[in-house]
Amino acid sequence: MTIMAQPSSSGGGGGGSAAGALYDVIELILDRGLVIDVFVRVSLVGIEVLTIDARVVVASIDTYLRFAERCGRLDLTGGRQPVGLPAIVGQITEDSAERKAKGALTGAGRAIADTIHDIVTDGRG
Amino acid sequence: MAKYVYCFTDAGHSLPLADLRSVGAEGTVLRAISHKGLAAVVSDAPEGLRPKRRDLLAHETVLETLSAAGPVVPMRFGTVAPDDDAVMAELARGAGRYTELLTRLAGHVERNVKGAHQEDALLGDLLADNPELRARNEALRAAGGGSQPEQVAFGERMALAVEQRRTRDAAYVVAALRPLAMLDRHAPPVKDCFINVSFLIPATAQDDFDAVVAQLRTAMEGYAELRVSGPLPPYSFVDAVEATV
Repeated sequence: MTIMAQPSSSGGGGGGSAAGALYDVIELILDRGLVIDVFVRVSLVGIEVLTIDARVVVASIDTYLRFAERCGRLDLTGGRQPVGLPAIVGQITEDSAERKAKGALTGAGRAIADTIHDIVTDGRG
Repeated sequence: MAKYVYCFTDAGHSLPLADLRSVGAEGTVLRAISHKGLAAVVSDAPEGLRPKRRDLLAHETVLETLSAAGPVVPMRFGTVAPDDDAVMAELARGAGRYTELLTRLAGHVERNVKGAHQEDALLGDLLADNPELRARNEALRAAGGGSQPEQVAFGERMALAVEQRRTRDAAYVVAALRPLAMLDRHAPPVKDCFINVSFLIPATAQDDFDAVVAQLRTAMEGYAELRVSGPLPPYSFVDAVEATV
């Protein structure tokens, strides 16, 4: 089985069982793939799928109260390391642009600011 | 007899079907139905077939095994044709499109990336970044939590900040990985994940892809995690590829 959820440094995931890894591709198997009009889709009533009903939760009063409570309990006294994501992505895309210039990559290379801007304004596409 | 359809392939695919478990009853064999240059992989689908959870695994295993041996056009799970003739008719009707798809998919794999924030780290980072929110949080804390309407109002502001940060972080992950991909496509939303995106990448680019993922994980340590799956059959790119023709 070549599916694996690669272990992340912040815990969670890991090579694990095939069924455990299946969890992360269930919505692809069920909601992607080719659909052919003249073929039918069998009833999936028999399937108890953990994540199929895990749609994005619409924000609600309960959500807001929960955020307020969690923020109230946070210990913010310690020093904070700024999250390194913007810097690392800047570096990654610079490297990619260089490699593209050398013909090593075929993907679209654009200025990171343009890409971020497009993604953010287009929403989740 | 109705047929459960797993995928379409080139007729020349090695089709290692012998030891694969089918969707449905144990012992059902998988067969190939060919028409000119194309083949469909099917198994008998008795009346009233009701797939079980284990059938998801069977379907995935069939597609993965075949995808590792050559390009496939995966069907959505649960696809059933009325009989062999209907399968052959579809291969004939769509021959041009399916051949084109297989050509474009050849040598490529799908990698799926999901990301989820560690909630306390996210909230802490947002408060650290936003003096107004931080001050409000402190004021509520000093007031022993504040009234419920005050909590709701503050929580709503935090929820907005969370949403904006989720969008921003998703954009960063896509920006980092997109240069390596022929295509990318957002996958159906999954709860608690700020991103769920699939990339169609050359099979030869996987080491580069994994290296960028590793860099992202380092940058996100303690703040968010990335869960990366694959190589997968190209579930997310069997209509998107046609759209770019």
